[in-house]
Amino acid sequence: MIGVVVLTLRELMARKIVLGLFVVATVVWGTLALALQIDVVDGTLQGIRLFGQAPEVQVEGNGEPAEQPFGGEDPLRMIVIAAESVVAGAAYWIGILLALFATGGLVASMMDRGQVDLLLSKPLGRSTVLGGRLLGVGIVVALLAFYLMGMVWLVMSLKTGVWNPRFLLAIGVVLAMFAVVYSVVTLVSVSSGSAPLALVVTLGLLFVSLVVALPGLPDKLQEPWRQVVQALHAVLPRFADVGGRTVPSLARGVPVRSWTHLVASLGFGLVAYAAAFAVFRRKDF
Amino acid sequence: MKLLLGIVHPTEGGATIFDRPIGDSQARRSVGFLPEDHRFPDFLTGRQTLRLYARMAGLAADERDARAVELLARVRLTEAADRKVRTYSKGMMQRLGLAQAMMNRPRLLVLDEPADGVDPVGRREIRDVLVELRDEGATLFLNSHLLSEIERVCTRVAILKEGRLVRHGTVEELTTEERVWRLRATPVPESAATELGESLRPGDGDEPAGLGRYRLLATDRAELNRHLDVLRAAGVEIESVEPLRTSLEDFFVDVVSR
Repeated sequence: MIGVVVLTLRELMARKIVLGLFVVATVVWGTLALALQIDVVDGTLQGIRLFGQAPEVQVEGNGEPAEQPFGGEDPLRMIVIAAESVVAGAAYWIGILLALFATGGLVASMMDRGQVDLLLSKPLGRSTVLGGRLLGVGIVVALLAFYLMGMVWLVMSLKTGVWNPRFLLAIGVVLAMFAVVYSVVTLVSVSSGSAPLALVVTLGLLFVSLVVALPGLPDKLQEPWRQVVQALHAVLPRFADVGGRTVPSLARGVPVRSWTHLVASLGFGLVAYAAAFAVFRRKDF
Repeated sequence: MKLLLGIVHPTEGGATIFDRPIGDSQARRSVGFLPEDHRFPDFLTGRQTLRLYARMAGLAADERDARAVELLARVRLTEAADRKVRTYSKGMMQRLGLAQAMMNRPRLLVLDEPADGVDPVGRREIRDVLVELRDEGATLFLNSHLLSEIERVCTRVAILKEGRLVRHGTVEELTTEERVWRLRATPVPESAATELGESLRPGDGDEPAGLGRYRLLATDRAELNRHLDVLRAAGVEIESVEPLRTSLEDFFVDVVSR
């Protein structure tokens, strides 16, 4: 399997878009590190400057906000949470899509004639070949997520002294949802061998999952459409729910009320991966 | 070919390679394969390609480098070893593919159109490597439409027509025309020609002055010798007698066009 993983890693590294994503991640945390200047004395916020400009929050000499602008909460903690929420949200809503575009063609390209023959003629099981490919993709996307979100967390924590370890769980959730979305790419790729089709179907499915997750939508519909929407919401990955509830809760460092949306999405992913492996094992090339 | 390698599944029946069923991935441990129109990752160099596929073939880490060096030399790619394969010509790609197939020292080498699209010089280089391998004791399973190449490399040939086996045997068996011999001799007098009748036919091509080419038809060796006795009795001097062979290509065309 290691050979297939190495091949996948090399292939991804050869794609400029992956290097581009690492550059973007560097720019994000680097900008945060350089632009955000926080003066903390004895654990108390003395001043904040972003790109050299002081925000509206004015802090008096004793370190207490003049008019309790954060509702009485620790302003340092609020800043950290705000920054981490923005990064977690961006990593979830934008990062997953970018990672999808960067890696979406890998499963289909592996099945190209002349390439798949070489792989399948080696003493490797078919599940090992597909699993190695997916593991390679997972490693790169995980590195990217840990690099971006981990560095942001580290920069913010070191600059402010406020450590929000629950934010790190958001990395796991982002990766888990990427894996769920990628299960659709994998299933369509092994079934059709077409990378464009895999991406179109996956994006279409994501769009539908966002629509059926709109609050109050079932109440506005007549039967049987209400049941259709509810069934789709139950079955499809709950991209909107996880992105709108689970990830923000983790970024804010508050307990997640329910993991149901994530677990249901993971269930969808498992079924899709099982189907993809079954199709790949039976496919003739 | 693809059935044996597990790339295509059988609709019915089964097969084994080295006593293992073809569905068992370990059956391919002693097999090397060069697919038709193979595509190596074009961002790798020739050396990296060999090392990577050797890893997949289960070759030990300490063996990969040495084996890559050895095989790159054998297929005459040493100078291009550290160039990206995207810069390789078709012939170089085929030779690299051959080296890739040989990395795990296979006992069975399956080659699908190894000389397809290769110029005559490259074709000869590939053929030389294949003949060396054959002489070293490896079994080559070669699929090609270049029948002259097959004729020079293979010992046994099978002809498929619409997916069904229609003829198989050694090259000699398939290319030897039954009951026909090529005769080079001094001109046959009219009396002997009349006596032999349909068993003696004019042959093709020119011969040096004083000699002629004929074809002798005989059901077996005894009849052949009786024909030769007739000729010698008529004063004909025989230069040579040999079984008539056709080219594999002629034989193939004859078989598939029936």
